[in-house]
Order: sequence, then structure tokens, then C-alpha cells
Amino acid sequence: MNKVIIINLNGNAYQLEENGYEALRAYLDSAARRLEGNPDRDEIIADIEQAIADKFRALMGASKTVVATREVEGVIAEMGPVEDASDTPAAVPKGAAEAPRPAPGADAGPGPAKRLYRINDGAMLAGVCNGIAAYMNIDVTIVRIVFVALTLAYGAGALLYIMMAILIPSAVTSAERAAASGAPSTAQEFIRRARAGYYEGMKTFGDRRAYREWRRNFKHEMRGWKQDLKREMHQNAHQWACNWHRHWGGRPYPFPGWWFAVPLLRLLSALVTVVCLFSLVSLLATGAVFGILLPAGIPVWAGLIILIVAFQVIALPLRFMRHAMYYGSGYDPVCAGWLHFWNAVAGLGFIAVVVWFASRHSAQVHEAIRNLPHEIHSAVDSVRRWWASQ
Amino acid sequence: MSSINEKFTPIRKGLLEFLVLKIVSADKVYVADILRELSGTEFATQEGTLYPLLSKMRREELVDYEWKESEAGPPRKYYQLTAKGREQLREISEYWQQISATVKCLGQKPAQ
Repeated sequence: MNKVIIINLNGNAYQLEENGYEALRAYLDSAARRLEGNPDRDEIIADIEQAIADKFRALMGASKTVVATREVEGVIAEMGPVEDASDTPAAVPKGAAEAPRPAPGADAGPGPAKRLYRINDGAMLAGVCNGIAAYMNIDVTIVRIVFVALTLAYGAGALLYIMMAILIPSAVTSAERAAASGAPSTAQEFIRRARAGYYEGMKTFGDRRAYREWRRNFKHEMRGWKQDLKREMHQNAHQWACNWHRHWGGRPYPFPGWWFAVPLLRLLSALVTVVCLFSLVSLLATGAVFGILLPAGIPVWAGLIILIVAFQVIALPLRFMRHAMYYGSGYDPVCAGWLHFWNAVAGLGFIAVVVWFASRHSAQVHEAIRNLPHEIHSAVDSVRRWWASQ
Repeated sequence: MSSINEKFTPIRKGLLEFLVLKIVSADKVYVADILRELSGTEFATQEGTLYPLLSKMRREELVDYEWKESEAGPPRKYYQLTAKGREQLREISEYWQQISATVKCLGQKPAQ
């Protein structure tokens, strides 16, 4: 149970959770401090209050009347710290406290953090491809071709499209639209860093100590990037959970459909992985994927990279969705545990089915599985012998 | 990128007023329109920066606003350029041309 405080934002009444109220008051106080001496101070504050009220209104629904603390924090991060435009940067009062920036997105570099949305402007169907293209910063035609190609592969593309059309929220408000095609994504930053890092590394060729130093730095950088990506993923998941909450506001967690959606998503991810592996092998073995030959000018390695990237494009949103569901159930550890459990069951089940299928249809695999206990025994024996000889 | 990004922070900040003038000159806009236009660019900004900037520009009589009803929610402030703002935009645009020409030409070897 949380205490609720009713506030008046430029003539609009809203109910806030107590901690959210504290955060908002700190933000507005710091804004007022920063605008000290500005002749338009009251007007700017009123504008800002109105903008916050608009954002709150977008969060409210028929059955949702209280703004949660994390929603307040999200709105504050979206607003950004108030800077007095009449001051030169040096004249900003040194003692002024920073606006509280508790939301994880606040320090994600320039502009709003990027999120996956459906974009209906210029969409052919539901804007899924459009949204993915904006998110990955690639041409929408490429995404569409990938989806069509996947549809040729046992209709997976069509299924995926329908699922994503249902699950991905569409960008409605201006902030959402901005987030759909916002700042450069971490993936691009990664490629840029990796490339710069490798050039740097090439310079140290021949100098062993410099090389070692470079390698250490490079690893460090990459690790940092991985954390960034993880954080971005969590933000995405969080955002989706918020959207769902807005959509299904007031319903108990988890939304009943999730019990099916989690294992289904898991299965889809696994299926995508298998199709990916299959096409990689077939590309290496025969130079063709699903009977489509690589165009003459493209070397096999480029084909491999294209395939891997294409499958990543498909797999990433699936992963986001699953994480969003864990997030959504974050209120209740038992519930999240069950979702994880379902996820694992679906994953193991899939592996079992694949192994069973392979052993039925391939004599070699069948033989290998039958010999497995024997192989394990001999492996254990050889390790034991090696241990004894030491 | 991030270090270049940081180095250019004051320049981006300074250019923001020019860009807002440009955006407002095209059409009557309200704050969310401006934010959206900037969002895809290097100049992506937030309400916290934009409101004080707009109020400063209004004080300098470069822009003016009028209240307009919106389909959903309360009336919004729609901004437009004043004659002075238009003149300012023309001057800044010219100056910007000069600057970008200078940046382009400096450090290049003269043609033989």
C-alpha cells in the first residue's frame, strides 16, 4: 500500500505516489532555482508543468488514476534538466543542485533513448518493418525483403509479423515517435568502436607490449559496450512493460496471455536459431540458401555476415518481448519465477524435439545418441586415468 | 564519437537558437513539433532546454505565440516568427554560409 498525494499541475489535478511526488517536487524546485532572476520564470515553470501534465495524461486510462513513482521518474528524464537560456554556461549558479535524474535513460548520451515501436507513417501493413528499420537505422526495404524471405521459409515471417504487430506498441505521442527514430543505437556505436579499436590494434603490430596494452583496452571497451547494450535492453523491456501496464492497466500480473506467450516466444527464438544454423550450413555447403544462390559478386563470407545480421534483426525483438514479460511480472518474484520456468520448459522441450527428430531421420545421429552413454563412460575413464598418472 | 560529441556541446547549444528559428519559420509549431523535428538529429533536445530558450527568444521579440485549441487536452502555444525574427534568421543563415565556407576552405592547398 502506498500513500497517494494529489497535486495541481498548472490547473490539472493528478494523484502521485508519495516518492514520485518527492521526485517531481525536487525537479520543479531545482528548475525554479535555475531560473532565478529570469523575468519569465513563472511562465516557463507553467509551461513545464503543463508539459508534465500532458505526459501524465497520456499515461492515465479509465481504470488507472494514480501516477506510479517510476512513471514520474520516466517523465522527468524525458523533460531533461531545465537550463536557463539567458545565462552563458559559465554564469550558471555553481551551487544549484542538479535536477534528480533517477531514470536509467537519463545518462544515455544525446537525445532520447531509442525504442522499438511500430511506425504507421508510410507503413504498408501495421508499421512493424517501418519501426524495425527506424530502430536499426537501415532502409525499410531491406527489412521488408527479410520478412518476405522468411515468409517463404515455412511462413515464419508472416507469423512473426502478426505476433510483432500485436505485441509492439505503436508510436502515438510525439515522444514515442521521437524515441522510435531517436539517437544512434548502441549497435552502431559498437561497430564504430570495434572498427576504431581494430585500426588502433593494427598500428601496434610487431610491438608486443603495445599490443598487449591495446588488447586490454579493447577488451575493456567491449565489456563496457556490452553493459550499455544490456542496459538498453532493460530500458526497452521496462518501456514495454509500462506500455502494457497502460494498455491493460489494473489487470493482475501477469496478463494471462503471457503464460502462452513466453513459451511461444521461446519456441520462436529457438526456431529462428535453427533456421539460421541451417541456412548457414547450407550456404557453406552448397552456396545457396533455400535454393537461392548468392549473387555472383558477393563472396561467401559476406553472405554469412548478411545472414547472421538478418537473423539478429529477427531474434532481437523476440528477446525484448520475453524480457518485457519478466519485467512486467517484476512486482512478484514468484510469478517471474514461473515465467522463467515456462521459458526453460519450452526451451528444453524444443531441444528434445529436435534431438528426437534428428535421431529418427538420420541414422548417424541415431547411432551417436545410442553410443552416448558409452562415449561418456570412456571419456570419464580417460580423465580418471590421466588423473591417476599425475 | 563521444569525445567529439562533448567537444561540440557548446557549439550545438549555441546553434540551437538558429535551428529553432529555422523550424518556426517553416510553419506555426508547438513545442512537441520542434522536439520531434530535432529528435532525429545531433541537436536532439528536451523540454527542459526548449521552454527557457523559447521564452528568451520571445523576450527578444524573435518569436511570438498564440493559444490554439487542440483536439485532445488543453490549448497549446503555437509559435511563429516575428518580422524581427525573420530578419534575424536571414542574417544568421548568411553568416552560417560564410562560416561553413570558411571551414571547408581552410587548410586546403591552393590549386596549382
